[in-house]
Amino acid sequence: MLREEVSLAELAVADVVTAALDGEEPWDPPTAGELIVLLAALVDLKSRRLVGEDEDDLEPDAEAEEVRERLAQRLIAYAPFARAAAWLRDHDGAAGAVRYRRVPLDDAAAAPVRGEPALLAAAMDRLLREPPVPSLAHLNTGRVNVTELIHRLRAALRAGGAVSFEGQVAGGGPLREGTTLLAALELAHRGEAVLDQPVPFGDIEIRRSRPAGPAPGGGA
Amino acid sequence: MNGLARAVEALLFLSPEPLPLDRLADLTGEAPGFVERALGELEERHHAGTGLELAEVAGGWRLRTRADLGEICDRLRARPPEERLSPAALETLAVVAYLEPIGRPEISRLRGVSADATVALLAERGLLEEAGRAEGGGAMRYRTTRAFQERFGLRGPGDLPPLERFELTGEEAAEIRRRLAEDGHLPAPGEGEA
Repeated sequence: MLREEVSLAELAVADVVTAALDGEEPWDPPTAGELIVLLAALVDLKSRRLVGEDEDDLEPDAEAEEVRERLAQRLIAYAPFARAAAWLRDHDGAAGAVRYRRVPLDDAAAAPVRGEPALLAAAMDRLLREPPVPSLAHLNTGRVNVTELIHRLRAALRAGGAVSFEGQVAGGGPLREGTTLLAALELAHRGEAVLDQPVPFGDIEIRRSRPAGPAPGGGA
Repeated sequence: MNGLARAVEALLFLSPEPLPLDRLADLTGEAPGFVERALGELEERHHAGTGLELAEVAGGWRLRTRADLGEICDRLRARPPEERLSPAALETLAVVAYLEPIGRPEISRLRGVSADATVALLAERGLLEEAGRAEGGGAMRYRTTRAFQERFGLRGPGDLPPLERFELTGEEAAEIRRRLAEDGHLPAPGEGEA
């Protein structure tokens, strides 16, 4: 601010805030607090200038004086780094444009030096070979449609009047057992079937509860 | 040029990083004193009229192109590899170079503005690198890199002018205070004294 001789009246507080917040990460509380105190002092000074009050008539504000003193001390403390930056600018090799080799030696040496056609062909063959098609079997494991099972169970009941649960799931896995049970429960819920399990954990008998007719709700 | 100087020249030509004297001695199997003499011979050989120069930077020796050839050397690349640094970037580098390792909050506090974006940019350009966190946690700290030393022609991490050299004299500090007072940031000297 001072180095560039900007008048206080011309200084936009919003620009200062924008410059201070140009990072993406959150501020830590001490830095943010210090910035807010300095901005408050700046706004105070600006408002006094803009209103045109005679500063001699104003009561000295001890807190504002302290902040101003800190501002001065900060400028004085920071000055060596600003000068060191100027020294760096004067010694910037990019400005002088010296250039260094940058390619890692291993990468540079990796290029074939002598022609060995057979070796090169073998290397290219490995690169050009189609990789094996990845298996998607895990994405296509058995899918069971409960609605379809309800239809099949209903048809079996119409044909025989009663079916065995174990007979329905014979050869199937736990998924088939679970979904068949859901289908049976659904038919029982609709009043189309009665489930009977005389022995705990034994087979479930699924009986048709009424003569064949249109299913309530027009089918599942 | 003797055989050792030729060998050293070849090693420096190939190496993408500075080669310290003892490394050159290991590679050539010669005593460091002889290698030093060979380096002197190389320095004479690469005089101002040649395209390459021998430089001691970043803890070792390197062959590099001369500054006046930078523009033509950059035609080899798709874009210039090292862009100029903004004043904010140079000041941030100066702070880190003298106080490393140092975290972004401390840099921001010292500079009075957020240094996050500038530090990220300098790290991206390879001039700063992470230096771990302080014991007990806290923000990531940063330090300058070998690329920084090479770019600014430093022989090693501490090869900077002493910071005291840049400190304000009493007169200069008084001048700053006078200008602050003129701008209304500080009471005029003598004002407010009972």
